[in-house]
Amino acid sequence: MSRLVRIPATLGAVLALVLGVAACGDDSSAADSGTSSSEKTVKVGFLYVGPKDDFGYNQAAYEGSLEVAKAFPNVEIIQAENVPENAEAERVMERMISQGATLIFPTSYGHLTPAVNVAKKHPDVVFVHQGGLEPDPKLPNLGTYFGTVYEPVFLAGMAAGKATTSNKLGYVVAFPIPQTLANVNAFELGAKAVNPEATTTVVFTASWCDPAKQAQAANALISQGVDVLTQHQDCTKTIIETAEAAGKKSVGYHYDASSLAPQGWVAGSEWNWGPLYTDIVKTFLDGSFEGSKYDGDYRVGLQTGDNPFVQSPFGPGVDQETKDAIAAAKDEIAAEGVFAGPLKDQSGDEVVPAGTTLTYAEVEQMDFLVEGVVGKLPK
Amino acid sequence: MIEAVLAGAVRGGSSILFAALGETVSERAGVINLSTEGSMLCGALAAYATAVETGSAWLGVLAGAAAGMALAMLFAAVVVFRAANQLATGIVVLFLALGVTSLLGRDYVGQGVDGFTRWDVPGLSDIPFVGTVLFAHDPLTYLALLAAPLVWWLMFRTTPGLMVRAAGERPEVLVATGHSPNLVRLAAVAAGGLLAGIGGAQISTALALNWSENMIQGRGFVAVALVIFAAWNPMGALAGALFFGGIESLQLQLQAEGVSVPADLLNALPYLATIAVLVLFSRRRLHAAPDGLTSVFETSP
Amino acid sequence: MTAGPAARAAARMRPGTGLVRWLAAIGAGLAGFALFVAIAGGSPAAALQAIWSSTVVDAVGPGEVLVAAAPVILCALAVAIPAWAGLWNLGGEGQLVVGAIGATVVSQALPSSLGSWAALPLLLAGGAIGGALWCAIPAVLRVTVNLNEAISSLLLSYVALRLLDYLVNGPWKDPRSLGFPQAEPLPDGHRLGGLDWLPVAGGGRLHTGLLIALAAVAAAVVAHRHTTWGFRLRVVGGNGEAARRGGLPVKRLIVGAMVAGGALAGVAGMVQLSGVEFQAKGGIAGAYGFLGFLVSWLVRHDPRWIVLAGIAIGAVRVGGDALQIDANLPAASVNVLLALLLLAILARGRGRRRSA
Repeated sequence: MSRLVRIPATLGAVLALVLGVAACGDDSSAADSGTSSSEKTVKVGFLYVGPKDDFGYNQAAYEGSLEVAKAFPNVEIIQAENVPENAEAERVMERMISQGATLIFPTSYGHLTPAVNVAKKHPDVVFVHQGGLEPDPKLPNLGTYFGTVYEPVFLAGMAAGKATTSNKLGYVVAFPIPQTLANVNAFELGAKAVNPEATTTVVFTASWCDPAKQAQAANALISQGVDVLTQHQDCTKTIIETAEAAGKKSVGYHYDASSLAPQGWVAGSEWNWGPLYTDIVKTFLDGSFEGSKYDGDYRVGLQTGDNPFVQSPFGPGVDQETKDAIAAAKDEIAAEGVFAGPLKDQSGDEVVPAGTTLTYAEVEQMDFLVEGVVGKLPK
Repeated sequence: MIEAVLAGAVRGGSSILFAALGETVSERAGVINLSTEGSMLCGALAAYATAVETGSAWLGVLAGAAAGMALAMLFAAVVVFRAANQLATGIVVLFLALGVTSLLGRDYVGQGVDGFTRWDVPGLSDIPFVGTVLFAHDPLTYLALLAAPLVWWLMFRTTPGLMVRAAGERPEVLVATGHSPNLVRLAAVAAGGLLAGIGGAQISTALALNWSENMIQGRGFVAVALVIFAAWNPMGALAGALFFGGIESLQLQLQAEGVSVPADLLNALPYLATIAVLVLFSRRRLHAAPDGLTSVFETSP
Repeated sequence: MTAGPAARAAARMRPGTGLVRWLAAIGAGLAGFALFVAIAGGSPAAALQAIWSSTVVDAVGPGEVLVAAAPVILCALAVAIPAWAGLWNLGGEGQLVVGAIGATVVSQALPSSLGSWAALPLLLAGGAIGGALWCAIPAVLRVTVNLNEAISSLLLSYVALRLLDYLVNGPWKDPRSLGFPQAEPLPDGHRLGGLDWLPVAGGGRLHTGLLIALAAVAAAVVAHRHTTWGFRLRVVGGNGEAARRGGLPVKRLIVGAMVAGGALAGVAGMVQLSGVEFQAKGGIAGAYGFLGFLVSWLVRHDPRWIVLAGIAIGAVRVGGDALQIDANLPAASVNVLLALLLLAILARGRGRRRSA
């Protein structure tokens, strides 16, 4: 083959492959392309740490942004997915600002430091961060918000405690951080509330999304007699499917996966960001962000209002008695919180004395596992 | 517990075994393919998508094998016929696979799949201990265990295997017998991609029952390292893949039994162990390396 | 092999057919990407416009390109210097990480009140030593047990990433970070100064790490062409056996080249830590090691061209954001763009056949 033929031949092969596969699918980007018609006067930016269709944390946030777009015809959403939790996020936010964004939602915890840095440089742009805390001293153009995820997890734990026959529940967790520990503890407390024999075994995978490892972790738990599995991972399908395939039960997280587990789905918790995002954007559009409840560390749960983290539908095996008990517990949580004393940690030491309840801020510093959780925190 | 760890090693190691066997064939022909990870990704997505669309997991495996092979052939076209550097091309082709699978995989992220289920080998699975460890898995895991001796036999006892090894060590012999070393290399790399594609399919349609972008998480690179660990021997690749699967399995099993483990350090263990084994057996491995591979590592473009 | 890689690179870079092929390859890569975007349902014009506008037109664009280019350039040098001696350093990613770890260790040992004139050189040394030590492992294994350095350095990268994970999840975890795995922020005196006064920075976050990278390139150019050491490395890379017979200390040269390369990757880690991230965290590596490898290979390890290629890769990185934000394409598009550009350049070669 002569050289002249070979160059186009190789390139042709590359193009054929790329174009061939491109033609096979993907109309999502076409569907996403918002028309930038002239009546769109405000741009709101969203950053996601993972793919915006991960069937988990990021997809929930993305769907919240779609509700914002629906609620405000004059708002154009611009977005960036797979934004790493490092200083590259600063560059992404700078680009959004130069494209005209005046309100930015960095939706992952690790986007906080970059958001603070960019916020200092752009006092005219408002940042609302998902899950973090204001820096000290606080910034007038930055606020944080989050739901109290462990409340619906407690309620799901009740359903799991009823559903187990081996009295062994399993929790596949990415990393031991306060948010995940609070969930594991709430789950075990919920289970114990209806089934004093129930224990929760926790396994850490050291990755937010490694499906093969999740499957192995689930199998390890099942080999220990665990018959209800739940998780704190960004991509959530594997645990549900693995439990279903093994004839075990599952409790969802981040996203309603009940359709994937018609047999084993017990309960779950999922995000419903739409109303909260919409209210934040409305406050911003009204020009009243500064000094509003969102200009600070806004935490909302059953004790204070509408939690954006809600219960997923129950599975077929949950009886009416359990549903009633869960409904009653929901009112109780609204009155006194999930982590009401007396609570003992794994070693039997009292960590929350009788008569006191951990505040939302205290829960965000959680560094212990409660009695009944099997598994050790890495030192 | 040992039973559960070993069963997990077999189940979790089989995808890496497929990829390592494929890379063995490729490297025996003198081509090191760092985009094995990419072939696994393509295989994982193609298998998952096909299984979702057709409802047949076996058709999915065929699609996964074809996708893994297609990517490897693109790599081979650039490396073998354009004489481009193998290591650099491998990384570039991996970037392409990452990008393309992320784009095309979006529609399948939330969809459930009728993947492979556990199929206990009748009779054998009832044997205490051994039954659980070896005979209570998904069909692709059995296929991986059978593929190791099969590839060994093909490589060392058949004419095609001889030709592949000649392409890596004595290409002049091929030329003398009227064969094109480049075509043999292309075929070997394609076969390697095919096996890696099946490995990806095992992860997406048998082990994890899921597709998510970048889901191979470095297992393809581990497979490349295992080939050297195994001294380019398919049966050694079997041992290496079980070892890697076993480390991961052990770590998770210990946690499930309530034992505290330093997970980050344990996760580094397979890489350290591979280096340690390479050091211990380096003299033997040096002799085992196909001559064609030594030129790969020369910096000449 | 008749001519060293550098000589061939020089020939390649001479205006004429080489240049034409380069431009044709880049054009073909961009054209392929435009076609890809069109078929994926986007607007090729908007995509190309987004890249142009975000990297050149935007006030902070050029500065951001340079911020991304600095670690790529340093990691490319980390590949190039061992490559002169015929060695493949695939472990830049891990050496960068250990460099960042080394700089963090130094930072934590120093009083935070220490002036930056004293602190920064010490942090730089910490980064260089960290990277050098990490790269010394594959070098020593290569000269003692003849273990291939490409594989061992790549494997050690994964070990380095796990080591950093362990540190930021454990002993170094900042108690104020709500459990997010990151170390405490560096004190102000341990941070590299800004270059925001430069017109090209556009008031952005360009920092003196760029000057460190450029100084390293200058040193490498001199070492490559004008020192005995560089000459000896090229002799070893050209024909190790002849070099040994000629009385060159081949093993020492090999270890030296790898250690020098590792030190530069470690400096990249310090630059990312003190100039960009300001605290150790898992995401600090940012694939710069792999990108550096591609850059070095792209210019056939000639340090004179590493700056240009490094800036080009930085531009792809910055342009990738705009593909999402401006042109509404998925994040994965940037990987396709990068791969098509590089594949086109790969396929442009002279069609030299393997010895077969």
